[in-house]
Amino acid sequence: MTVTTAPHLHRGVRPVPAPPEPVEPTYVRGMAPPAERTDAQVVRDVLAGDRDAYRLLVRRYGDALHAHALRMVGSQDVAADLAQEAFVTGYRKLGSLRAPERVGAWLFRILANVVRDHLRRTRRRHISLHVLPEIPAPQRGPDEDTVDADVRTRVRQALAKLTPEQQEAFVLKHVEGRSYEEIAAVMDLSVAALKMRVHRAREALQGLLKEFA
Amino acid sequence: MKDEDVRRYLDGETEMDAMDDQARSEARSWDRLLAAFRAETPGAPAPPWLENRVMARIEALPEPGLARRAWSWLLRPRPLRLSPATLGLAAAAVVALVLLPGRRGPAPTGDAGGAAATVVYVQFDLRAPDARSVAVGGDFDEWQGSYPLEDPDGDGIWTGRVPVKPGLYAYMFLVNGSKWVTDPEAAHHTDDGFGNRNAVLAVTAPAT
Repeated sequence: MTVTTAPHLHRGVRPVPAPPEPVEPTYVRGMAPPAERTDAQVVRDVLAGDRDAYRLLVRRYGDALHAHALRMVGSQDVAADLAQEAFVTGYRKLGSLRAPERVGAWLFRILANVVRDHLRRTRRRHISLHVLPEIPAPQRGPDEDTVDADVRTRVRQALAKLTPEQQEAFVLKHVEGRSYEEIAAVMDLSVAALKMRVHRAREALQGLLKEFA
Repeated sequence: MKDEDVRRYLDGETEMDAMDDQARSEARSWDRLLAAFRAETPGAPAPPWLENRVMARIEALPEPGLARRAWSWLLRPRPLRLSPATLGLAAAAVVALVLLPGRRGPAPTGDAGGAAATVVYVQFDLRAPDARSVAVGGDFDEWQGSYPLEDPDGDGIWTGRVPVKPGLYAYMFLVNGSKWVTDPEAAHHTDDGFGNRNAVLAVTAPAT
């Protein structure tokens, strides 16, 4: 199958501030300046032995990968560790990448696998989904902030009760707003199967949060 | 019908205005709930230390292109000078290899044709009784693991056929969607340069 390029992966890239003074860059002859190298060029440079060029990929996709991991696990420390793991795995497997221009989507797919494995592992170890208590209804009072906080806590808990695959599909669709085609490429599913998975996730959440939907 | 309308709305296949009042009300509830999910699960930029930690870790790893470069070097044609005696020994070795009994592994099951563009179906199998899913991926599908294997009788042997063109391919099995596993039954393996072994599959065009 083909992983389609995901332009939104550039969404989280931090802008590079302009230098205060015009600086004449020094380049190795024949090599494009780092900021102008395309993803495909960077991949080829890394594979040719320019290990430090991989840094550019971490800069370009670090924010997008970290943001997704954070939405999935809810902890900045864990999300950063998972993003780190994905980048290291990506480096190790870079030789197997056949479409260097799609390295961003490829790294995102690796991250999705790393996150899925993490959730399977940690939920098995720390949480028995079957013995989690039902999520209590919020104590609605005059203070709207309190109500909002309750809602947020409950939706976080509800997400943790989904299977990792359902949670991933739901977050990619309804939190990150990606298209079904993009998500299908990340999750290696048909669009029809993916729609069903998202639907099941919504049904599960609806059961857990009856008074909201 | 209302549920179907709401489902289509949430999938982006219809607009709020196209639904009746009851479906619209439910759709608005969903909008509110999904907004709560988005608010509760914000993304955030990566911490500044991520880049340096990644670079520090990969400093200790072998270069990722090393295996491929070695593979290319092995496959690169080069002039070869052989004495008649050496040539005879090499021919004898080839004959001996051909006559050796075959071993279990991916078996080409090609149909007709012998041209380079001929597609040959290769059967893969892996014994993995505890697996929930098994797929195969390799040079032939850009390592996407896009060919699922099946275990219809539940005996733990996963099988499937993959159409490939004649050539030399490295491949592995993808178990449970995340774990790459080397084919233990492959006749040949190659080190990928960072601790894993890829199985090697040689596919020849079937004789006409």
